[in-house]
Amino acid sequence: MSAMDPTEVFRQEASELFEVLEGALLDLGQRPDDRELVDSAFRALHTIKGSGAMFGFDKVASFTHEFETAFDRVRKGEIKPTQELISVALAAKDYIRALIEDPQSTDDIIGEAILDDLKRFVSADQPAAPVAEIIEAPSRAPGESKQAGWHLYLEFESHILRNGSNPLDLLEDLCKLGPCFVVPITDGIPFLDEMEPEDCYLKWDVKLHAACHKDAIDDVFMFVQDEMKLTLSPLEHVEAPAPAPLFQLLDEEPAPAAEMTAPMVEVAAALAAEQPIAKAEPTSEPRFEARSETKPEFKREAAPARREEAKQERGIATVRVQAERLDELMDRVGELVIAQARLTQLAASGSDLSIKMIAEEIERLASSLRDTTMGARMVPIGSLFGRFRRLVHDLSRDLSKPVEFVTTGEDTELDKTMIECLADPLVHLIRNAIDHGIEDTATRAANGKTAQGRIELAAVHSGAQVLVTVKDNGGGLITARIRAKAEEQGLIAAGAVLTDHEIHQFLFHPGFSTAQTISALSGRGVGMDVVKRTIENMRGSIDLSTRPGEGTTVTLRLPLTLAIIEGLLIRVGEGRYIIPLPAVEECVELTAEDERSRGRNFLNVRGNLVPFLRLRDIMSSSGSPDRHQKTIIISTGETRVGLVADQIIGNHQTVIKSLSKLHSDVTIFSGATILGDGTAALILDVAQLVTLAQSKVEKQHISEAA
Amino acid sequence: MNDGLAGEHQADAMQVVMIGLGDEKFALDAGLVREIIDPVPATKVAGARSFVPSVINVRGNVIPLADLRIRFGMPQLDNSADTRIVVIELQLDGEPVLVGVTADKVYEVTEISQSDVQQTPRVGMHWKPEFIRFIAKWREEFVIVPNMERILN
Repeated sequence: MSAMDPTEVFRQEASELFEVLEGALLDLGQRPDDRELVDSAFRALHTIKGSGAMFGFDKVASFTHEFETAFDRVRKGEIKPTQELISVALAAKDYIRALIEDPQSTDDIIGEAILDDLKRFVSADQPAAPVAEIIEAPSRAPGESKQAGWHLYLEFESHILRNGSNPLDLLEDLCKLGPCFVVPITDGIPFLDEMEPEDCYLKWDVKLHAACHKDAIDDVFMFVQDEMKLTLSPLEHVEAPAPAPLFQLLDEEPAPAAEMTAPMVEVAAALAAEQPIAKAEPTSEPRFEARSETKPEFKREAAPARREEAKQERGIATVRVQAERLDELMDRVGELVIAQARLTQLAASGSDLSIKMIAEEIERLASSLRDTTMGARMVPIGSLFGRFRRLVHDLSRDLSKPVEFVTTGEDTELDKTMIECLADPLVHLIRNAIDHGIEDTATRAANGKTAQGRIELAAVHSGAQVLVTVKDNGGGLITARIRAKAEEQGLIAAGAVLTDHEIHQFLFHPGFSTAQTISALSGRGVGMDVVKRTIENMRGSIDLSTRPGEGTTVTLRLPLTLAIIEGLLIRVGEGRYIIPLPAVEECVELTAEDERSRGRNFLNVRGNLVPFLRLRDIMSSSGSPDRHQKTIIISTGETRVGLVADQIIGNHQTVIKSLSKLHSDVTIFSGATILGDGTAALILDVAQLVTLAQSKVEKQHISEAA
Repeated sequence: MNDGLAGEHQADAMQVVMIGLGDEKFALDAGLVREIIDPVPATKVAGARSFVPSVINVRGNVIPLADLRIRFGMPQLDNSADTRIVVIELQLDGEPVLVGVTADKVYEVTEISQSDVQQTPRVGMHWKPEFIRFIAKWREEFVIVPNMERILN
């Protein structure tokens, strides 16, 4: 076990909190009235501040504090979160992130500028605010803000100490709000022999003499609110039992009382009658009366929502595991699967029944262990989608194209390595969609479209694959322009007959861009080819479909995992190879007729012409071919290609091992695996073979034409 | 040159694994060598460069098997009882890469002194000079210390 660097732990935690914060801020842009969002943003900020200070990120703590202070008015509902405000808040969030991740790269000036902006937005309506408050105040429930203090009754759940919370610290925080008179309630303490030393038996009765807002008290207990009972009731100023430090406060107190406005008179009068008693013997009875007035209301608004949230959080118990360990586990499982394959082979060749049974048992266990391990590596793609909301938000602002960003299928799960690999390609695709796809507002209006563009990012399971689509409702691809560009770059001869689909493939050509102006965002022609390569490296494929004037859809087809696949084991000459099973459509025998027509590398599969490749030629196998050659029809997207092999051996659980750098020049193999007998076998790269077959067909066309 | 110092342990001594390829002796820096294994069945990689023609399974890892004899223009002998695979770890573009190297024979782990280094002769060599780090003298024999990074890149 390696000791974790606490700073590193903080960084990790902070980066998760940033995601929460960013998500909340972006949501807030759409639903400015959602109190839950404001609260969750605030909780994230508060935790960053707290742990930042704890781990010595003082700058972070102080900046976050300022941020929090400035944002406080939003939380109090005094100002509405506008788009501008949210942009600044996002910038502030980025600055905090920079402070944590690379303090050297930032400058205090940036932080100050952000804070100034933030303050400007927040205080834009400052002069009006006090007025609003005064008008608002009388309409508020009596005791919400205009009383002399609060009476609190605190009851923590007994396990609170074990969770590392210290009620005394919380009480201390409470004292910072104003003078407190704290009475512990010792009723709950059991006999010594029944006492659990780690349990908390004390309850507290606190009188807080400060005219603070209820939220300020909630803040103190923000992190333990699920583990405690907090009963709040307003306290009338006269009740002060007057311990020494309270004298100065008492001087001020007649003022709020005098300020009491009409709706409060009733209560005030009622309480005024009791004042002399209260002064003489400060029992809690009159307060309970007052409490019964406010408590139900307080409970109604806050408690149910929080309970529910707490329940949800507890429902999914999670353990944080280092990603490396999961990788190691996957490696071990891979080795186990290989060893199990060897055992199965050994058992099959012998005649010992008991060994065969054990081999079967282990095969079953190994495969379920494999599934479980792969499951543990699965991460919902929503974590990735969340990142793009910011991207869309920023791009839409920079390009002044209002864009609505819709995501679906966030809980679709993918291997975590895949999720990491997907980030960059999706950034490219989304940028393209906004920059090239969505037209500017004027054009949209002219075409009778809504001013706001729409980008949909969706993920869905489809068999052993996951489809990720990026769909825009923009102008669609202009085939003619792509064609013109391809001709200009000499990729096709002028006037060559090509389908639209073929023409669109040029978009994936390195250095190909039809954007007439190069913007900071896209148009350099770097991107789509990188996207294609990345997706193919993941053994996925990419499809484009477009309707002029209606938009473009890019579909990424991805395998569920990178580590283990189902494969079809075949033999070509002496060598054995794996074809990924999802790519295999069917297996047919190469008929004598196909065999005869040597010049024409086409198969007749139920009336369809399918080009085929002789793997013996590609692998330059020695020896003579088997008499009955088999053809495996593979497909990527629309294209089908036949591969001719000597023998089809069968299914094989394929643990994928990448090929070393020394073989990076070999393109027809996507990796290697280890067979039951311990030898290595190569995995065919289906996409590359299809391209190879197609280029052969094209060559044939050219030679036939000549 | 400094014959008197040969064999003596000194600061500039270098631990090497002495292997035989054809009629020549090569000294591989012992720091690179991970393990020495008996020959295992190799899998041919179609389309790979001739000096890394195949891959092998070493403890669950698929690693390339390099043939230095091809790089040095030597005849390829059939595997004999002495044939071994020396697994070495190289830094290629800043990343560690495991490579198996076929050796016709593995002699011993020994020390050569860097002060025994001979100037690589400019003439009389049918090997590319960049493949050779230096030539050292060991027990009255000349041994080649190859530059594995260059050979395999």
